[in-house]
Amino acid sequence: MTVDVTPAVREFLLAIADDKHLMGQQHAEWIGVTPFLEEDLAFCSIGQDELGHAALLYELLAGDDDAAIDSLAYDRGADEYRSCHLVELATDDWTVAFARHWLFDTADQHRWTLVSQSTVPELRDVAARVEREERFHRMHADNMLDVLLADATARDRFVTAVAALAPLTQGLFEPVPGEAEAVATGVAAGPFAAEWDAFVETIEARIGAVDWGSAPSQAQRTQRSNDWQALMARMREVIDLDLSATW
Amino acid sequence: MHTYEIFLKKDGRDEYRHAGALDAATDDLAMVMARESYIRRAEGDRLWLVRRDHVIVADPDLIAPNADKPHRHHDGSAVAARRKALRNEGASS
Repeated sequence: MTVDVTPAVREFLLAIADDKHLMGQQHAEWIGVTPFLEEDLAFCSIGQDELGHAALLYELLAGDDDAAIDSLAYDRGADEYRSCHLVELATDDWTVAFARHWLFDTADQHRWTLVSQSTVPELRDVAARVEREERFHRMHADNMLDVLLADATARDRFVTAVAALAPLTQGLFEPVPGEAEAVATGVAAGPFAAEWDAFVETIEARIGAVDWGSAPSQAQRTQRSNDWQALMARMREVIDLDLSATW
Repeated sequence: MHTYEIFLKKDGRDEYRHAGALDAATDDLAMVMARESYIRRAEGDRLWLVRRDHVIVADPDLIAPNADKPHRHHDGSAVAARRKALRNEGASS
């Protein structure tokens, strides 16, 4: 299932796909090392869902050919990815990883709502599919938050983690240049950044006022953060063992 | 934290079956964890969670005496042996 879109709209869709792809990878890397077994399975299962969502979008752009999908996912140059720095960030702090999951999935809901009535029918279908699963991701984060925020120490740690992620979270809302055309042609109902205030309201209703700081310099998502190279190397670790191998 | 026992039911014909257990701080969190840990590959289409401390557990002494009541096991072997003996008796006469 491929959609015929302009280069600008392709870039708009890539930004969503790349965010999902890297977020899924980051979550999945917690397998075996989250603080307790149940969370281990849940967090990585959520990561797998995110990878699945990325694959749906890559498939829209690359077609049914697995090699073409893989190539789009793994073989682009650094400046051809359109991920935000929030999803590229390396962390070995579980609180930061969990806070990022909450921030990302809360924001993601707004983002997918914008394309749920898209003029591209295939994208509408993907949006509906994604929301069926994202509902449970948010339920996971919110239920865990109920427990964490009730404990003073856990609350402090969580709020500190959100504060550390706040500037990068602004970068999640930074558009690619192609977004304007995506909005103008009805692919998206509006710019993602227009959802910022509603997003902040949701977050601050839960944990109080947040100092969001300054957004990172991402050059409209064309510039990778310092952590991207190592992340991509981990993602490509097996592929790079033998580039001539057929998978 | 509480321990929850997980029961899954596969389809309309099968009964609920014990699938495992997990620890969670709240019922809601237990449900989310069970969803991701036990049915992420659609291993069941119905899910029960039972808090372990709500399970009424029998004392083994309550059950033990019943392990020694051979007269309650009507497998028919004695009757079959008797019938076989009678058949053999008839054949030889």
